[in-house]
Amino acid sequence: MARDLRVVTCSAPVNIAVIKYWGKRDEVLILPVNSSLSVTLNQTQLRAITSVATSKSFTRDRMWLNGQEEDINHPRLQNALREIRKLARQEEGDHFHICSENNFPTAAGLASSAAGYACLVYSLSRLLQVDSELSAIARQGSGSACRSMYGGFVKWEKGDRPDGRDSIAVQVATETHWPEMHALILVVNAGKKIVSSTVGMETTVHTSQLLKYRSEHVVPHRMVQMEKAIKERNFEEFAKITMQDSNQFHAVCLDTDPPIFYLNDISKRIIQLITIYNSFDGNIKAAYTFDAGPNAVLYTLSSQVSQLLTLVSHFFPPDHTSESPFVIGLSQTTPVIDKKLAEQFQMEPIPGSLKYIIHTKVGGGPCQLNDPKQCLLNGDGLPNRELHHTSPM
Amino acid sequence: MARDLRVVTCSAPVNIAVIKYWGKRDEVLILPVNSSLSVTLNQTQLRAITSVATSKSFTRDRMWLNGQEEDINHPRLQNALREIRKLARQEEGDHFHICSENNFPTAAGLASSAAGYACLVYSLSRLLQVDSELSAIARQGSGSACRSMYGGFVKWEKGDRPDGRDSIAVQVATETHWPEMHALILVVNAGKKIVSSTVGMETTVHTSQLLKYRSEHVVPHRMVQMEKAIKERNFEEFAKITMQDSNQFHAVCLDTDPPIFYLNDISKRIIQLITIYNSFDGNIKAAYTFDAGPNAVLYTLSSQVSQLLTLVSHFFPPDHTSESPFVIGLSQTTPVIDKKLAEQFQMEPIPGSLKYIIHTKVCCCHVNNQPLPSPWMT
Repeated sequence: MARDLRVVTCSAPVNIAVIKYWGKRDEVLILPVNSSLSVTLNQTQLRAITSVATSKSFTRDRMWLNGQEEDINHPRLQNALREIRKLARQEEGDHFHICSENNFPTAAGLASSAAGYACLVYSLSRLLQVDSELSAIARQGSGSACRSMYGGFVKWEKGDRPDGRDSIAVQVATETHWPEMHALILVVNAGKKIVSSTVGMETTVHTSQLLKYRSEHVVPHRMVQMEKAIKERNFEEFAKITMQDSNQFHAVCLDTDPPIFYLNDISKRIIQLITIYNSFDGNIKAAYTFDAGPNAVLYTLSSQVSQLLTLVSHFFPPDHTSESPFVIGLSQTTPVIDKKLAEQFQMEPIPGSLKYIIHTKVGGGPCQLNDPKQCLLNGDGLPNRELHHTSPM
Repeated sequence: MARDLRVVTCSAPVNIAVIKYWGKRDEVLILPVNSSLSVTLNQTQLRAITSVATSKSFTRDRMWLNGQEEDINHPRLQNALREIRKLARQEEGDHFHICSENNFPTAAGLASSAAGYACLVYSLSRLLQVDSELSAIARQGSGSACRSMYGGFVKWEKGDRPDGRDSIAVQVATETHWPEMHALILVVNAGKKIVSSTVGMETTVHTSQLLKYRSEHVVPHRMVQMEKAIKERNFEEFAKITMQDSNQFHAVCLDTDPPIFYLNDISKRIIQLITIYNSFDGNIKAAYTFDAGPNAVLYTLSSQVSQLLTLVSHFFPPDHTSESPFVIGLSQTTPVIDKKLAEQFQMEPIPGSLKYIIHTKVCCCHVNNQPLPSPWMT
């Protein structure tokens, strides 16, 4: 038992961009070619939990992620640790033990590194009692992690300084500003290995002429429009920009050499579904967005989410052999679809396209957990193997 | 029997763009937002044949296409007929009967309107004995038809005049300049109905910010580079630009609202195959290009076409239930693949992705009054 052990446990959210980050102007400091904006999701459904401990009895930094010990010398991890130590003016010799878990499977392809790095940085800041701008540190672990440092609606300002000190996250609106904003995460059955974001965006920067135009001429204007749409709670505007930016992101991926394909035939059918759904009553009711992977995120307001969930479950039902819950999170079941509505889509249901659907909503930023039962490290500062984290899966 | 009947029969080719036309600045005159460039394909494998006849006994214009009578009042058809009559200073009252056929099935999704309109315009010009710039007339029937007015390598200069008189096709190199240029057309099993080019490109013009940048800043430079690559017979350069332009065309389709998807999962696998193939020996050996539909066209030199055909047939074999010939045109069979080569791709064969493969090459120009052999038994 380490007598001077100090432990802090925190939780941090996932965020899903509605204006996409794709392309760096500085690979080391992780500075982007354009600004981006995201919605922070509720931590009840999706979160990273991290316990960080320090003790003079620790001989070296160590890290465990989802039960596995990780290589602490990973450059991005070292970046984050170094920067937080600088901020805390911490003497050499005080080592950390870090244990982190996500309540969603890594295989789900949900951007876990954003939540993970945000949680790491936040936890260390609480442990070392540092009160300071932290998003720039999270950014150096994983670009989009900076946006997970706040709840609600968050922008990552690209910044202009070479040293990156102005490339930080700024909260555009809090989680209570637009509580009707719900999200359905459609987790697709993983196919082949995909191109990693880090590699992909670097290739795009080097080979796509369209990316340059996007980052200099399209995104700055969209950022202004999107911020306005959020402040005014204008869902139609929010949705239009979201869908256009998702499509343009995938367009510049296609304009890459060799071309990068993240959308597959299931993604296209989801886009088709939402496009048709939005054409009814001339009223935009849902927005799709796709990241660097096959999963879809659908944004909609609470008044529409039940109908949207019904539609998605109808046209993308589970495989009949599957026994695990199909819809998890805020909803657990879906009403049966109205046949007349279904006929208007002229689409056939394709079972087995989706693994499951997570229903969540906009949520808050990182927070400290004071319940000792949620601590992931034991009295010796080692992973607490008896802990079974609460998971909606 | 019409005693004063005069008939002319002509044949015209298909062309496949390597720098793509997508987007009009004038919907009526069919003037494009950027120039484009294509390879004209050999008519032995793919052609439109048109017979045009005139006689004072004809009471009205009539047209038949692939055995079906068509609506002669279609605006684009009327455009082409009106323009050719103007050129010929033809008196009112002389009506035409037009009969056209393609030697490839329409269901193949191969751009038949380009060959068709080119053939129509050319046939009428022979019938009316008009010697004049004809590509601008073909253009008004169907944009890319202007490029089918010449053999070899052809560019469609976008032009700047509002009246479109400078928006014409120009031959960049003849069909004998680079006879090693072969093409494999991979005809994909047709899926759902796709967005028509006419509708699609109009939506892209109205909604894509990336298209404007493409047409003003990217294509002009690529046209210069491509013309140079062709003149120098630089296959590596030709291939790089071709693949990049195909991808950028599909990128602006994706940047459209609502987004347009012409590439499907089979298209992606074909791209993957060619990308891997080109990575061997650091030597670009093939280029893919995809139009507004699922079919792929692979360009390669004659020295590589056999190996390429072998690879495509191996990874995209026919459905085992299919009885019709799988490879047609210049090749009829494919050698068995070398197992070591196949393993390097780390891909599984997926049967039934392709209906068939047409092996052809860069072509010759129009042929008068001669029936040509047809690979199709329709």
